[in-house]
Amino acid sequence: MKERVIIIRYAEIHLKGKNRGYFERLFSVNLEQSLRGIRHELHRMSGRYLVAEFDEAETDEICNRVSRVFGVHSYSRGLCVGNSLDEIFAAAERIAPNSGSFKVETHRGEKRYPLTSMQISAEIGGRLMEAFPSLRVDVHAPEHVVYLDIRENGKALVFGSFEPGPGGMPVGTSGRGVLLVSGGIDSPVAGYMMAKRGMTVEPLHFHSYPYTNEGAKEKVVSLCRVLSRYTSVDRLTTINVAQIQEEIHKKCAAELNVTLLRRFMFCLAQRYALEIGGQCLLTGESLGQVASQTIEGIASSNAVVSLPVLRPLIGFDKDEIIAVSRQIGTYEISVLPYEDCCTVFLPEHPAIKPKLSFIEEEEGKLDKEALLESAWESRETIAL
Amino acid sequence: MIYLDNAATTRPLQEAVEAAEIFLTERYFNPSALYGGGVAVQKEIAAAREEILSRIADAGHFSLIFTSGGTEADNQAIFCGGKRGNVVTTAGEHAAVYQSCLALKNRGVEPRFAPLRPDGSVDEEALLRLVDEKTSLVSVVHVNNETGAVNDIFRLARQVKEKNPRCLFHSDGVQAFGKISVRLTEEIDLYSVSAHKIGGVKGTGALIFRKNLALSPYLYGGGQEGNLRSGTENVFGIAAFGAAARVRFGSLRETGEQILRLRELLFDALDPALYTRLSPREGSPFLLSVSAAGLRGEVLQRLLEGEGVIVGTGSACSSKHPFSRVIQACGYRNDILQGVLRVSFSPDTTQEEAKAAAERMNEAASRLKEKTGK
Repeated sequence: MKERVIIIRYAEIHLKGKNRGYFERLFSVNLEQSLRGIRHELHRMSGRYLVAEFDEAETDEICNRVSRVFGVHSYSRGLCVGNSLDEIFAAAERIAPNSGSFKVETHRGEKRYPLTSMQISAEIGGRLMEAFPSLRVDVHAPEHVVYLDIRENGKALVFGSFEPGPGGMPVGTSGRGVLLVSGGIDSPVAGYMMAKRGMTVEPLHFHSYPYTNEGAKEKVVSLCRVLSRYTSVDRLTTINVAQIQEEIHKKCAAELNVTLLRRFMFCLAQRYALEIGGQCLLTGESLGQVASQTIEGIASSNAVVSLPVLRPLIGFDKDEIIAVSRQIGTYEISVLPYEDCCTVFLPEHPAIKPKLSFIEEEEGKLDKEALLESAWESRETIAL
Repeated sequence: MIYLDNAATTRPLQEAVEAAEIFLTERYFNPSALYGGGVAVQKEIAAAREEILSRIADAGHFSLIFTSGGTEADNQAIFCGGKRGNVVTTAGEHAAVYQSCLALKNRGVEPRFAPLRPDGSVDEEALLRLVDEKTSLVSVVHVNNETGAVNDIFRLARQVKEKNPRCLFHSDGVQAFGKISVRLTEEIDLYSVSAHKIGGVKGTGALIFRKNLALSPYLYGGGQEGNLRSGTENVFGIAAFGAAARVRFGSLRETGEQILRLRELLFDALDPALYTRLSPREGSPFLLSVSAAGLRGEVLQRLLEGEGVIVGTGSACSSKHPFSRVIQACGYRNDILQGVLRVSFSPDTTQEEAKAAAERMNEAASRLKEKTGK
């Protein structure tokens, strides 16, 4: 076995009591999936996973991918060696800095090891100081730490730092939701947040070709590709709502255009969710951000569906959403100048607090079932 | 498919592709190489240069360097010609000139933009008023790429030089070259052309300039193109350009008359209740801009694409840049601006295609009007 390894520690799985096995299984499946295409082995080692047997040149890419797998609490680049003091020291010598202040910190999972943690730290620290005369010990605020982890299986892990993972729960452990994804900043962030809590996020996009263009659709595809790095979901479904927009525009009060359209979208999203075994709808709505995201607007959309609608961004400010979007890599795509909704149907003054009775009265002017059916038939699935 | 977006690009001519192919297969030598293969390729470039230049200028008085396209030729003209004082141009320029002039600001040169007349041609008096003793360059597009209006660059250049003899005159001739009759006179210092608008391939253009003009390079390197445009020559594209020029100039006049008839045939078949004409009748026959007032050009474009007709548009469903800058500068109202379609022809366009396109344009506009009107 090559000595070079990446040590992965998981986040909340240890909380899960008797379900722990189930969570760990999904976690390792997700890790394997994220490392698809890279030669490696994945080993379990009491409370940790080790990625081993990979090409050194792939180290950064592996770390990149691991850093996007939900459930990863932290990871370290390190060495896995035999647990004799000589082998541990040889590894520590490779990991240690050659100058500055340092300390050695030992964790001893193997309680039958002849030395205590303190003794191991002192021994290896002493040998390192001999090897590197410019090193000095500082146990309170060292610039560098050499971590030793003595495992039960005759192995020891040696590493120099902890890099934080995304935290959260393994995707797939918290059900399946349909994400209403536009080309904007918010919805990918909403999808990311639900995936972080372990949900399988299935994106669904509404377009209105020919009123919107192929560029807008391609933008959503690109966004979902970035999202899929976190969620591992590799399909996007689209539905054309142009005809619905035309009919609303023609027959209903202009100020309700958006409100009514959203009710149609929710109906279609629910139908899609039920078809693919989804248990809820997910949106990127944030309270009061735009006219349709007032509590009245939200209530009017919720009224047409029976599945729960989760809105993880409801209490977020735009700045906070943007910060996450930059962090997950969707921001640059979201701000590309393709609009997901043609301005042709946008009312000058959308209703901010629409009354449900008025909405229902206006909606009654439409052949709702026929419109839903024809939009449903327009759906397409794109492989990401 | 009826392709009527030839002002954007044209289908490469068979002759051009055939002339070029050998340079991708057998004669791939670097034209700067000193062995036989390289020298022979250099000769082919010289032949294409002669072919293209002689079509519009006297090779005794003008030179031609190949560039990566019209945009690069325009950039070299603007940045190498407009080095001090101010540069005068028009509000109707292609972005390659317009944005370059704006960028001159960062180099301490003041850009000045002359307004347009409603047909897209420059207001000549206004332009001349902007020229003063500090003007180092005037750049005026020859054929407006959105309306097809033709600027009389020769008269303008003369008048500019009467006012300031030291000032250089550049014209972006991308929509004129190989389409309308052009013969460069000594008042024109710099003229940009492009290959893919006349049946050549993308990635090739040229800057034509007066022989005793002290032009400086825009790209530095190995010293190709007389040290004025470094970079290994795009031999394939240049060969295609030469062949395309030979074909297009061979029948320039007949083609011009034929296309003029097509353009008017198409326009006459458009429903006047739906479409307003923006292009001047005396403009380039290759371009016809119309507006379906109150409708969205971009949506119409997609509806037409669904019916197998490809046209250009001057608008986009974008809240940030909803209108064409050039058409806006012509002074139209917003409802006209948003419905702009640009129909542009090639010598291969047939009467049947023009008629069919007009019919589908009528259908598409009335359908859209019915769907989006109240």
